Amino acid sequence: MFDPYQVLGVDPAASEDEIKKAYRQLSRKYHPDANINNPNKAQAEEKFKDVQQAYEQIMREREQGYRGGQANGYGGSAYGGTGSGYGNGSYGNSQDQDFGDFGWGPFGAFWGSFGEGQQQGQQQQYQGGNSPKMQAAANYINARHYNEALNVLDSITDRDAQWYYFCAVSHAGLGNNVNALSYAKQAVSLDPGNLEYQRLVQRLESGGQWYQTQGTRYGQGGSNCSSVLCTICALNLCCGSCGGYGGVRYC
Amino acid sequence: MFGYVMVNKPELKVRELDEYQAYYCGLCHMLKKQHGRAGQATLSFDMTFLTVLLSGLYEPEEQSQCSRCITHPLVKHQMVTNKYSSYAADMNLLLSYYNLLDNWKDDHNYKSRILAGLLSRRRKKTAARYPRQHQAILHYLQDLSTCEQEHAQDLDLAAGLTGTMLGEIFACEEDAWAPYLRRLGFFLGKFIYLMDAAEDLEEDRESGSYNPWLPFSEQEDFMSYSRQVLTMMMGECSLAFEQLPILKNAGILRNILYSGVWSKYEQIKEKQKHV
Repeated sequence: MFDPYQVLGVDPAASEDEIKKAYRQLSRKYHPDANINNPNKAQAEEKFKDVQQAYEQIMREREQGYRGGQANGYGGSAYGGTGSGYGNGSYGNSQDQDFGDFGWGPFGAFWGSFGEGQQQGQQQQYQGGNSPKMQAAANYINARHYNEALNVLDSITDRDAQWYYFCAVSHAGLGNNVNALSYAKQAVSLDPGNLEYQRLVQRLESGGQWYQTQGTRYGQGGSNCSSVLCTICALNLCCGSCGGYGGVRYC
Repeated sequence: MFGYVMVNKPELKVRELDEYQAYYCGLCHMLKKQHGRAGQATLSFDMTFLTVLLSGLYEPEEQSQCSRCITHPLVKHQMVTNKYSSYAADMNLLLSYYNLLDNWKDDHNYKSRILAGLLSRRRKKTAARYPRQHQAILHYLQDLSTCEQEHAQDLDLAAGLTGTMLGEIFACEEDAWAPYLRRLGFFLGKFIYLMDAAEDLEEDRESGSYNPWLPFSEQEDFMSYSRQVLTMMMGECSLAFEQLPILKNAGILRNILYSGVWSKYEQIKEKQKHV
């Protein structure tokens, strides 16, 4: 069983900075460039890959935590289930084995992390109900061919809550987060009792919500607009006094 | 359309501000070294951010020196350069060149045309060194012009084109971090495009130019809706950032991502209140 916290030698309760620090130390130690003359070169490289995998796995789980997934329960024992689940699925798992080549765009990975919350390390499988077209759309989504999925969905005239849900999922996969949220909300309004649809809305909104709580720590504007106006004054002053700041900007 | 990715100065620590300025001066220096005085004139905050980001991620060997320059003739300034300020300088040149051509095409701005002419030879050389990034910019310009002609009523479309292009620029090496940098750049690019469009809204309404916010601008809750959309973009961008193992420069980068990028927003809001 692969325990990423053990690989990095940190406590599951460690802060993200501690995890990043541990990762940096270990990846430097086992980096192939640092082990050219090492007789156990192959072992070092193996270790290097493990460290990379462990780091990415921990960070992915924590992101899910921020997104209101089940990742809050991760860490410690709850987490083992995910570890053993790896390597079983048809795809989606290449993400965990082959780093640096996700095999799909960045939002595939973004989306991939969505499904994992429910099925422990495996990609969520979509079922299309009775209509063959909806099934085709589901298959495209499962294969991460979101543009093709949208093409099929476009040709369907009988549009129920699930149709909106599939549109939302496809748009999210393409990084179209505004469209995705709007479709997801329509799906919820057509079928208010469906937990899956609600969860999708929550996940799409979670990034912004998380951001706002983080932002208050860094003097984010909005609630405190006078400070932002001060910033602009300060920047302008700087432009005036040292001349070069900004210069002929290309905006 | 650039210049939103800046620091919120009063919130930075003194040491962080010094470090940020050293990267800024370093980038300026690299622009001059690699692309001459005309190249230097294209210096931007956005590519300073990229320098600070990549330097934090890869922790490369750095050259630090104290020097005077034409814009600061009286005071010596600390400046830091490394292989990523060199990369950011090249990207800055490519982006600026096409941006200047665009200004010329749109507004017949002669200053832009002249500066673009001065950069043309350097642009060719640089483009040949980075075919992937250069292609991304060319594709972007082509797709964006189609999107504008069709007046796409979709907030994700034009913004997504900008995002995809910026993601390619941010992913400077095809390594384990490239997918994260693409995602970060993608949502930052969407944010920049939509922020810029919000700033130009009234102008575009009068001139009849394409602006994706126009169909939404009559809604009563437009201000809160646009803020929500922009916040979503920065949320995704920052989540991608937090996945990266960045310790060095982290304070500066978070200052920019969580606060600095909003510096111009209040100004825009003020402007729209008066319309």
